Amino acid sequence: MNGLAIEGLSKTFKDQIVLDEVSFDVDKGETLVLFGPSGAGKTVLLRCIAGAVDQDSGTIWIDGHNVTATPPEARGVGMAFQNFALFPHMNAFENIASPLRARKSEPTKLEESVRAIARLLKIDHVLAHAPRELSNGQKQRTALARALAAEPGLLLLDDPLRNVDAKLRFEMRLELPRLLAGREATVIYVTQDYKEAMALGNRIAVLEEGRIAQIGTAEDIYLSPSNIAIAKLFGDPVINLLDVVPDCDERGAFFDLSDQRIALDFLPEKAVGVPCTLGIRPEDFTITKADVPNALPVNIEAETPLNEKTVTLAVTPLGQELLASRPAGTAIHGQDSAGYVFNSRKILFFDSKSGLRMDNSHSNEKRSE
Amino acid sequence: MSNVLLKLDSVSKTYRPLRRDPVHAVRHFSLDVQDGQIVALLGSSGCGKTSMLRMIAGFETVTNGAIELKGRAIHTLPPAKRNVAMAFEGYSLYPPLTVHENMALALKSQGVGRVELDEQVNSIARLLEIENILNKYPSSISAGQQQRASLGRALIRRADLHLLDEPMGQLEPQLRAVLRGRIKHFIKERQLTAILVTHDQTEANALADRIAVMEDGNLQQFDTPETIKARPANLFTGTFIGEPPMNIFHSEVELNDQFLKFHLGTDVVLRFPESAFSADLRDQLLNVRKVTLGVRPYAVRLSDVGVSAEVYANQWLGDQSHVAARFAAGSVISVSHDRVSTKEGETVCIEFPVTDLHIFDTRDGSAISHGGKPA
Amino acid sequence: MRHHTVLETWLRGLAIAVIVLFFMFPIFWIVLMSFQTNETILRSPPSMAFVPTISNYEAIFAGRLDSNVASMDIKFLGNLGNSIILSVGSVAVALLLGVPAAYAFARHKFRGSEDIAFTLLSFRFAPPLLVLLPLTTYFQALGIADTYFGLIWVYQLICLPLILWIVRGYFEDIPADIEHAYRTAGHGWFATFRKIALPLAMPGIAAAGLLAFIFAWNNFIFALVLASADKQPVTVGALAFVTASGIQYGQIAAAVVLSIAPTLMLALYAQRYLVEGLSLGAVKG
Repeated sequence: MNGLAIEGLSKTFKDQIVLDEVSFDVDKGETLVLFGPSGAGKTVLLRCIAGAVDQDSGTIWIDGHNVTATPPEARGVGMAFQNFALFPHMNAFENIASPLRARKSEPTKLEESVRAIARLLKIDHVLAHAPRELSNGQKQRTALARALAAEPGLLLLDDPLRNVDAKLRFEMRLELPRLLAGREATVIYVTQDYKEAMALGNRIAVLEEGRIAQIGTAEDIYLSPSNIAIAKLFGDPVINLLDVVPDCDERGAFFDLSDQRIALDFLPEKAVGVPCTLGIRPEDFTITKADVPNALPVNIEAETPLNEKTVTLAVTPLGQELLASRPAGTAIHGQDSAGYVFNSRKILFFDSKSGLRMDNSHSNEKRSE
Repeated sequence: MSNVLLKLDSVSKTYRPLRRDPVHAVRHFSLDVQDGQIVALLGSSGCGKTSMLRMIAGFETVTNGAIELKGRAIHTLPPAKRNVAMAFEGYSLYPPLTVHENMALALKSQGVGRVELDEQVNSIARLLEIENILNKYPSSISAGQQQRASLGRALIRRADLHLLDEPMGQLEPQLRAVLRGRIKHFIKERQLTAILVTHDQTEANALADRIAVMEDGNLQQFDTPETIKARPANLFTGTFIGEPPMNIFHSEVELNDQFLKFHLGTDVVLRFPESAFSADLRDQLLNVRKVTLGVRPYAVRLSDVGVSAEVYANQWLGDQSHVAARFAAGSVISVSHDRVSTKEGETVCIEFPVTDLHIFDTRDGSAISHGGKPA
Repeated sequence: MRHHTVLETWLRGLAIAVIVLFFMFPIFWIVLMSFQTNETILRSPPSMAFVPTISNYEAIFAGRLDSNVASMDIKFLGNLGNSIILSVGSVAVALLLGVPAAYAFARHKFRGSEDIAFTLLSFRFAPPLLVLLPLTTYFQALGIADTYFGLIWVYQLICLPLILWIVRGYFEDIPADIEHAYRTAGHGWFATFRKIALPLAMPGIAAAGLLAFIFAWNNFIFALVLASADKQPVTVGALAFVTASGIQYGQIAAAVVLSIAPTLMLALYAQRYLVEGLSLGAVKG
């Protein structure tokens, strides 16, 4: 099969398991984002694919070839590094040309290719500069140009936007898909920024302690995270978690919050009478007056603006902190003591003990079929 | 609330390195901080914000100008006599002391009793989520924990002024979002006055009552976060504040057929009814002729009418959509809180509401108009 | 950042001058001595005023040492040649062996690599005299005593560990990602070593080579025991100036000036290169 296939990849560093039986397939031309907190194993996994780190066990297939024992220079991959890893003693041109030189490209063709990719990335005016004379943004583009220069079938991008400022990161995030489109390269993109992951990945593989905890589209993961930890990794501000024991009686499903009955239109069967953690995204809360039926009673502590949104920090009578967000400029009803209303269809139910999501209302298997 | 607590009067700082040109880190910086206010010094690295903070704290001499705290000139006093508490970017915890002892040290020397001291340390530790490391030493905790301990040590002190230098730079984004709200609540509840140095506008917006935007040693604008956003004083502030950044188009103005027309270099023309601008403003625009238009991505509407543009990216981030389109020899970015369904390669119509239009003089960058009204 | 007042600048200058004077004085004094006769050197009280003479240098170049009692042949120029052959030879061999070894130790951690590296360093622990006696016997048995080959081999005890440990540090300072980047670009490991690791570690290699050269040049004890008169370096050759009729201070001084000249020039030349190499900088990030 074309693209990339990883089978049972494991790696241990000094008794610490960094990768634990990782397996996944990436289609030709697909962009897969490896996402996870630092220390989850993303970078090591990428280096195993590049051949820079030797795995303990497992198999790697690139475009149908088993490259497990192939040295990095023969795997035909292009790679961009978080710290750019430009060759300090070569100018930008030579940096970009180095994969072409390795492939013994003919001089006029080499020059042409380097200039073409440099024009595309808007660094053609700094080709004669040494890396230390480049701005961070130019370094990052040079590193990207070098990875793309030889038109590799597999492109490995190791958090390439990490070390550029917010403005540039934003621009590049929108520009990258256009740069990658039409190259028919399979892309593995490592990042710690959930926005980059959602924006750039056809699919996202969430790594947790060396294992793939979930793999799916941005939609799958944002709307149906398979556990609490993943739910917390996506979204800004972070998802609210509320520990309750929901129940069902003749009046329907509900849970109690400091003597107040909050009705639910929807409750997974498994959750009845079981300690649950409710995951509610800040944008799914609406702030109302305190006496609205089914509103969570809260005291508003602080209102802070966040990128065209207003984030409200409120505390329940039990001392739980809950964040709500709404588009900036919209007014709220109620003062210090208010209520949070939510749509119970949008609540995520997690088993408090295992942290796993309970309902199957948004099927996770949709994509893999 | 209306007493001036800290007065910076034309403060300048010039470094004179050996055999090199002098560096003007801060130039004629004047600003009043009211009692109980949180003020953020916001700028990119090298803008002079940290030099300014260090001059207030007393770690840096003032080349010119004066600093007054509670009516007394403090810029010649040694740091210890200024009654100012500071949280350092580099944490600077005392290595032989535990986190608890680090935080308690200043209170102890002020003669606070054991019981009250423990209570205060514990309450701040709870606020910063470091209760479980109070008995650990700085060398055995993570950078983020050290930073919170350092912040706690500064906040716990009774001082006239609290200085916070990039207090949350090392923290994970999720924790940062929660702590911002708590710290603001804490500062307001105790009626402390604080100056925050940060390069992160989200943090400045979330915490500060007023933001001082700095660039190249100069104060660019000093106002509330809302005003800075709605009425940026110049093109620098306009493009620096706001995430994602403001869309910028250079243009030439022309009055034609009761429409004010902005020619965006290529054949793209934005037309607004002349009545949308006051007569004075219209005259000024026609007089200046070369103007730079600024529109925030949240104000750019994708609609059925307006100027057409070809979409090259549409990225959904869970609670918002970012759409980028080729437009007028450059690009335009639109952000909306709802999910947008347009695809790459499609043509959409772009509309800029005049109420969200910022107009700057292209020559000096000064603001001419915000939302159709004079700046 | 701090700025300096005029007084501070002035005091700094003074402090530097004092230190320079303190360290340079012996060299300065030796240079003065080399242009004096034994009589003016030994007069009391010593004085800076004298009529310069180049007779000491003439004697060294002529190979004849004339004192007021007798005259004798010396082979100082031959010794100088030996010093150059031995030092250059041993540094060259040490670089050839040590740099690739240092790279291996820096980049390819394998079981026991630390132990091997440490063993190599431990050669420097043993007092040379302790090693010398058995070594002499072996060398005589092998027939390599009193050959340049044998001496250069022994000098590896001095040069190799030095180069290995210094250069290894420099290799370790090169971010591994830069080499990974070159390899994923399609270049083999040897090309990566040659085109990336070597150029980036060059300041370190130059510094280590220089240091090894100085140590080899200044070695005394190995050459004293293992080399006969015609293989002796300057350090041993200088003993000839201690004659039955007294110590020829003037000639010794001239010999010292001549023998420190190559190292000094090398150091000055390399310094320029080292500074260049360091200012190339930005290897990290």
